Amino acid sequence: MPTLSELLVAVLLLLGTFLIVLTGIGLVRFPDVFCRMHAAGKAGTLGVILVVLGTVVQFAGTENDLWVRGLLAVAFQLLTAPASTHLLARAAYVCDYPLAQRTAVDELKGYLPSRPDQVFNQE
Amino acid sequence: MSPFLAAVLKICLAALLGSGIMCLYRMCIGPKVADRAIAFDTLAMIFICAICVLCIQWNSVLYFDAVWILMLVGFLGSASIAKYLERGRIF
Repeated sequence: MPTLSELLVAVLLLLGTFLIVLTGIGLVRFPDVFCRMHAAGKAGTLGVILVVLGTVVQFAGTENDLWVRGLLAVAFQLLTAPASTHLLARAAYVCDYPLAQRTAVDELKGYLPSRPDQVFNQE
Repeated sequence: MSPFLAAVLKICLAALLGSGIMCLYRMCIGPKVADRAIAFDTLAMIFICAICVLCIQWNSVLYFDAVWILMLVGFLGSASIAKYLERGRIF
């Protein structure tokens, strides 16, 4: 019979891993680069945070406590993941990456300088 | 460690392996550079999760600092790729 802390660790790890698997499925299945960023930027970040929190809970109370390092890692992930996703999305839009066929409205049209560069837009 | 937690860790590692294979598939077929950059970022996240799970499995916090390194590598990698795509130079 698992103890309460083991149950908590298992729930955190399984939820985080489930979100990471959803990220992988989204990366393969989504139609264009912005949708894939949507999968990787949100679900992946939350999955990493849940798994790190599970590790912190597992080692809480022992002689090698992880509270500070784990929470700082969570804060760092929360700071950097939106920044990198935003930078990549902006670069992809500026480079005229194609939107999906089903895209209804492109609200950025005309706001960002579009430069379909002949070098960097290649395969 | 109880057999319950050991089974959970095995399931987590298998799921992370499957997700990593999907990321590698996207990294191979990804039509353009930004797709590959996103797949790289996600692969760094998967490595972070795998390191955390292995820390619990080996009952040691020795490798937990690698989490920091991988977060830094993922962020700097995708940020520099984005800047290179947008301006044609990194600095």
